[in-house]
Amino acid sequence: MSLIFIQLLNGLQSGLLIFLAASGLTLVFGILGVINLSHGSFYMLGAYLALSLTSAFGDVFLALALGIPLAFLCGFLIEFLFIRHLYNRDHLQQVLLTFALILVFNELQQVVWGSYPHAIPAPSYLADSVRLTEGLSYPVYRLALMAICLALALAMVLVIQKTRVGRLIRAAESNREMVEALGFDSRMIFRLVFAAGTALAAAAGMLAAPIESAYPGVGDRVLIVSFVIVVIGGIGSIRGAFIGSLLIGMADAFGKVFMPQFSSFMIYALMALVLVIRPAGLFGRA
Amino acid sequence: MLTRPNPSVIIFFLILLAGLVALPFLAGTYPVKLVTRIIILATFVLSLDLLIGITGLVSFGHGAFFGCGAYAVYFVSPESEAANVFVALGAGLAFGGAAAFVVGAFAMLTRGFYFIMVTLAAGQMMFSLFHDTDIAKGSDGAFVNVKPELTFHGTSLLDFSNWHQFYYVCLLVLVAAYFSLFGLVRSPFGRVLQGIRANEVRMSALGYDTYRYKLAAFTVAGMLAGLAGALFASIDGFVTPELFNWHQSGLAIMMVVLGGAGTLYGPIVGAFAYAMLEEVLKSASIVGPLIADHWRLGTGATLVLAVLMSPDGLAGLLCWKRRRVIRASSGAPQGGNISSRPVRVAKGLLTRGLSKNFVGLRAISDISIGFEANKVHAIIGPNGAGKTTFINLLSGAAKATAGRIMIDHRDVTGWPAHRIARAGLGRSFQLTNIFPRFSVRENCALAAQTHKASLWRLRDRPYQAQEARAVDRALSVAGLGDRGDAVAGNLSNGEQRQLEIAMLIASGADLLVLDEPLAGMGPEETQRVVALLRDLVRDHTIILIEHDMDAVFAVADTLTVLVQGKLLAQGRPEEIRADQAVLEAYLGHQAKVGAVA
Repeated sequence: MSLIFIQLLNGLQSGLLIFLAASGLTLVFGILGVINLSHGSFYMLGAYLALSLTSAFGDVFLALALGIPLAFLCGFLIEFLFIRHLYNRDHLQQVLLTFALILVFNELQQVVWGSYPHAIPAPSYLADSVRLTEGLSYPVYRLALMAICLALALAMVLVIQKTRVGRLIRAAESNREMVEALGFDSRMIFRLVFAAGTALAAAAGMLAAPIESAYPGVGDRVLIVSFVIVVIGGIGSIRGAFIGSLLIGMADAFGKVFMPQFSSFMIYALMALVLVIRPAGLFGRA
Repeated sequence: MLTRPNPSVIIFFLILLAGLVALPFLAGTYPVKLVTRIIILATFVLSLDLLIGITGLVSFGHGAFFGCGAYAVYFVSPESEAANVFVALGAGLAFGGAAAFVVGAFAMLTRGFYFIMVTLAAGQMMFSLFHDTDIAKGSDGAFVNVKPELTFHGTSLLDFSNWHQFYYVCLLVLVAAYFSLFGLVRSPFGRVLQGIRANEVRMSALGYDTYRYKLAAFTVAGMLAGLAGALFASIDGFVTPELFNWHQSGLAIMMVVLGGAGTLYGPIVGAFAYAMLEEVLKSASIVGPLIADHWRLGTGATLVLAVLMSPDGLAGLLCWKRRRVIRASSGAPQGGNISSRPVRVAKGLLTRGLSKNFVGLRAISDISIGFEANKVHAIIGPNGAGKTTFINLLSGAAKATAGRIMIDHRDVTGWPAHRIARAGLGRSFQLTNIFPRFSVRENCALAAQTHKASLWRLRDRPYQAQEARAVDRALSVAGLGDRGDAVAGNLSNGEQRQLEIAMLIASGADLLVLDEPLAGMGPEETQRVVALLRDLVRDHTIILIEHDMDAVFAVADTLTVLVQGKLLAQGRPEEIRADQAVLEAYLGHQAKVGAVA
């Protein structure tokens, strides 16, 4: 019984964490129309930023406060250098360019940080476990992580739904030409959205770093799971990404306990099932 | 359409082949091993071009079938004996093909972004299957202890542990694979695949079950990838789940595009170029130790630049003139005397209570109407009346929410587009919808081929004469008798619309549904097409949407007026002209028709 409860918490936690990455991906695809395979690299960037900034400043939350703007800038630059050339090209070219970027980023990581895995300490004031019930305790950091993820997710939804920038973003998603005809610079909107997407992925990487440490290729699994979530939830749908993330988080958490050999397999089976029933994803527009 | 490579390419490849054949006599073991690896890689990448370049399917899970082929060798190899060469390679072929068939059956339900993701996920699924479970020794990989051999009565004919023998087998497989695929792509089957890449919607409107063609192509590509994988397992006698890794699939796509997708020979160049680049960047003596340590940075950066700079790939560099040479017009236009065609009873069409709801919107409501055979029926109505939705329902491009559709008493409600096309209904689209890079004749040949469109038709011969006749007839009826060899994309707008009609005729459809066949035409072209339509009703039934009221009244036998998704009136032109309700609802706004009336 307590095992089930623990796995429920773990599933919720990993679901919320992966939602940050997946929502960035679905935003970028939904609005820019670009398949960004290098999204996982920004998760990796986040993990290693957490490593360097935490060792410099001593606290992963301080690292987060500095790292998110850094990742945002980085995304801004990448969009300017590479991604903007892809808007009018077909999926194949997008896949290729962003795949080649992965190769470059992976190797840059090796150059800067080397190939050994590094552990990142959770802040000392959150290092304890909290007793939830008799004989059942849970690390405080993971609870804090859930709260932060929820806060970030809420902030994102508020920005998109309630602010002027958010309204422009939603408008650009449904009709780019019209937004331009109204006199807005859609290139700048796109650049901001891409940067925000990378910042979200990096934030996920930074928050996860004390739990799963930083190692080469840490973003690969996140990338593929994020894609699975985007497909399950429906391209461009934040709500779909949220539901999909929780589904995947739970499937993974329980799969690891009850069918350890097939836990990764189950995620993809879940996706295949959703696609057969609803080919455009749960909340996708056909 | 895939054409023979031009002379410069052929010369390049003859030199390359001569070099490859001579290599074992000139070089030591290391280069031979390296080139063996590259040749196997080239075979694998070549198989991917059938999907990406020919059929237009961007598969991101192709590495999985390569991995399946490799593991197949492990599965069929006894513990301490050699497997038979044919058994090992056959197992790779079969396992790769079977996996591709299963994955493809799901993946072909999706398109675009979803297709890329589904194939990627399928590859990862197989990766985790071999990585996490112990069906084949798990994440450590597994050894094929003795490499495959071929023995006959105790004498060894072929032994894969002999480097030279194995090298020549791999080279032979690559050459055979290239020529087999070349033949396949040039066959009627391959023509359909290329048609799907150019314009899938059109292909299913012509009556092709594109799902089955794509699945067949996917399976063939999987078989060839499996064969390459089986050879790969014989290099080191070692297989690992990393073979399934999505990075392999990504690199394979890279090589296809780097070399030039859709040429078949390009990917071979791409594989060699990539492997050479990697080899150069890895060797410290050439580039220095710092770069050699981080050679992946070099390949990654090169690939980024390649994608940004040269979308056509290396194949584009090889042939400096890649444009198709347009052959001189062969043969005079045939049968100018159109009106001598016999009158033939065509099919009619009937709808009962046909309705279509979009979310929160009733696009078509409860339309019951009959379209009599051998007449021209025009559907008119203000913008947003649901005209295009209506004919989308007729042709199966959209599914009706309620109601029935009958073609000559045959209930075709709910049939997919390609089946309705086979039942004799051919349609054209609002925007011109041809295969611009095919010649006019090839466009029509693709349409004529639907007649005998058994999936595995690999040869033209049995039906060649019959189809050529159908094409000639269609072209001359449509007034394009002397334009057969022109590239369709170079035709004038009016001629392209004529070509669309010619394709419908060639496909054997006798119920033609045309969406604005006169759109964008000048007065002279309009007149020509109106005359063509009047002539066609001798042996066809025509339903068309048109905005040009003068032309409508000139060409139509009956008019059908739709307003806001409802049937307002149907009748002969003069009845419609006199109909008070129509005048109020629609014609009253049209100054032009007001003048006519």
